[in-house]
Parts: sequence; structure tokens; C-alpha cells
Amino acid sequence: MSDHDSATSAASAWVGGVRDSLPLLSGYIPVAVSFGLVATQAGFSSLETLAISGLIYAGASQFVFVGMVAGGAPLWLAVAMTLLINLRHVVYAPNLAPWLPPSRWWPWLMHGLTDQVFALALARLPQLAERQRVGWFCGAALLAWLSWIAGSLLGALAGEWLMTQWPLLGEVMPFALPALFLVLVAPRFTSPRWALALCVCIVAALAFTLGGLANVGIPLAAALGGLCFFTLRAPRLPGGQR
Amino acid sequence: MSIELWLALLAGALGTYLIRLLPLLWMQRRLRHSRERAGTESTPAWLGVLGPMMIAAVLGVSLVPRTLDSSGWYATGLGLLATLLVWRRTRSLGLPVVVGVASFAAVVLLLR
Repeated sequence: MSDHDSATSAASAWVGGVRDSLPLLSGYIPVAVSFGLVATQAGFSSLETLAISGLIYAGASQFVFVGMVAGGAPLWLAVAMTLLINLRHVVYAPNLAPWLPPSRWWPWLMHGLTDQVFALALARLPQLAERQRVGWFCGAALLAWLSWIAGSLLGALAGEWLMTQWPLLGEVMPFALPALFLVLVAPRFTSPRWALALCVCIVAALAFTLGGLANVGIPLAAALGGLCFFTLRAPRLPGGQR
Repeated sequence: MSIELWLALLAGALGTYLIRLLPLLWMQRRLRHSRERAGTESTPAWLGVLGPMMIAAVLGVSLVPRTLDSSGWYATGLGLLATLLVWRRTRSLGLPVVVGVASFAAVVLLLR
């Protein structure tokens, strides 16, 4: 492949990543605006809000961090809670690892491995040629990260005004996230065994969230779904095959 | 923000980054070793199941509407149905999401 061809391929991979992650924006921006608003109301400046969003970059734990700090909790406890909430991310990279071709960029790109980027990457990376994967991930992760930072800044500067002007927008736009996850998980319903395990997982996660346990609910529901998958036996086919 | 608070922020950020990074390094090492030993890469079976389950769990968590009233739930149900129908026809990523959000918005506007 010539230099020109490889540059074109890299550019198209970036564009593909940006295009695929566009649906994330309508989920990210309203939540980031809410975070910016909450952080400034808790006494953080716009710069500090920006630093939290850019450096920690993990939605729920950021809300907990600013809430605990504003409430006067010990700082070590605020950090511990932040890490505890983000512990679910521990299984994301190993799942993606088989699809990541050698590149010195991957360790840096792991900063962008959120729940949503993971879900998108697990569905899309296997469909891409190896040479496109780094560019695709860069495009997708960078757009998601920048939109989170931009949304936080917007919330810090004009969150209150935005929420009063367009209250419906803040309610409607986040639906892009479940819609996107549905599209990502739908191709996995390939057999009754998978379908049942995935349904158990979805319903369990929903129940945990309604019970106020959204963050711990993700790994717990995934574990329940996995348990269901391995407990269920696939129908035995003639000749002993499954 | 005080120095202590900046340090706490940096500790939270570094810890979160390591939670995302270290498992990658572990898995890459494991894959490299299995490739050298057996000539092929091997990932644990549970990992192949856990990945889709994590996506399903994130879907379950995100299903809860912002406003927990009947119109929020109707909008969620119809939005999901519209998303699924468009996905079955197009097998694409963007259009089903756009139609799903539009359907969700339509139900919220009609019922409130």
C-alpha cells in the first residue's frame, strides 16, 4: 500500500469512528451539562469542572466526587468512592484486547474507555480491518471525550439557563443511549440461550437501577447474565454436539 | 480549589486510568504468551460472554427514564420498539437511534 493510500485509509478510519460515535453525543451532552451545573452549584469553578471532566472522565463517579467534596466528606473517601464506582471498567479492556492490533497508542487511548465507548468498540472493532482499528478508536473516543468536556463547560457556564429554556431536551436526548445499546446488543440474540441470558441481565440491571444501585448493578447484572448463560445447557444435537 | 483537593482529583483520575489500562496490559501479555506457546491466541470463555453481558447491563441501567411516570415508560417502550424495527430493516447504527429518539420525543410530547 502506498503512503497516500495508507493516509487515506487512516483518515477514513478516523471519520468512521467519529460517525459511529455521533449517537453518543445526544446521550453525553445533556448529562455533561447537568454535571457542569451540579459542579458549579457545589462551588467548583469552570476550570475545576473542566479538569474533573477531562481527567476523571467517568460520569457517575464525577457526580459522587463533587457531591462528597461539597458535603465535606474526607478527601480519601471521595477518591475511594470514585474508584469503587469505576471498578466495573476493569473487564472492558480484556474484552477488547483480542481485537487490538499492536500499537503504542493503545495505552493512551484507554483513558477514553467509558461504558459507551466500550460497547461501541466491542461491536465495531471485529468488523473492521486491523489497520483501521487504531484510527477508528481514536476518532470515536476523542469525539466522545471532547463532547463530555464541552458539555461540562456548557453546563458550568450556562447550565441553569439551558435547563429552564429547553427542559424537554434534557429528557429526550439521553434516550439515544439505550437506543444505541439496543442496536449494539441486538445482534447477540443468536440463540434461545443467549436471548434468555441477555434478558436476565437487562432486567436485573433495570431492577438494580430502580433500587438505587445503578453502578454496582452493571457488574452484578452482567455476572447474573453470565451465570444464567453458563447454567443453561444448549440443546444437545444428534451426535452429542451442542 | 486547595492543593489537597487537586491531589485528590489527580488520585481519582490516575486510579480510574489505571483501572482501564492495567487489565489491557495483563490481557495483552496473556495473549502474547498463549500465541508463543500454542501458536494461537486464546481468551478465557467467560470473557467472551461477559463482554456482551456488560453491554446488556449498561442497556438495562440506561432504560430508566429521567421522569419516572407512565409517559416516561410508554415513551421508553415505544422508542425501543421503533429502534428495533428500524434496526431490523437497515442493520445500521445511526438511523435506528435517530428514529428511536424521535419516537421517544413524540410520545413524551403527546402524553404530557
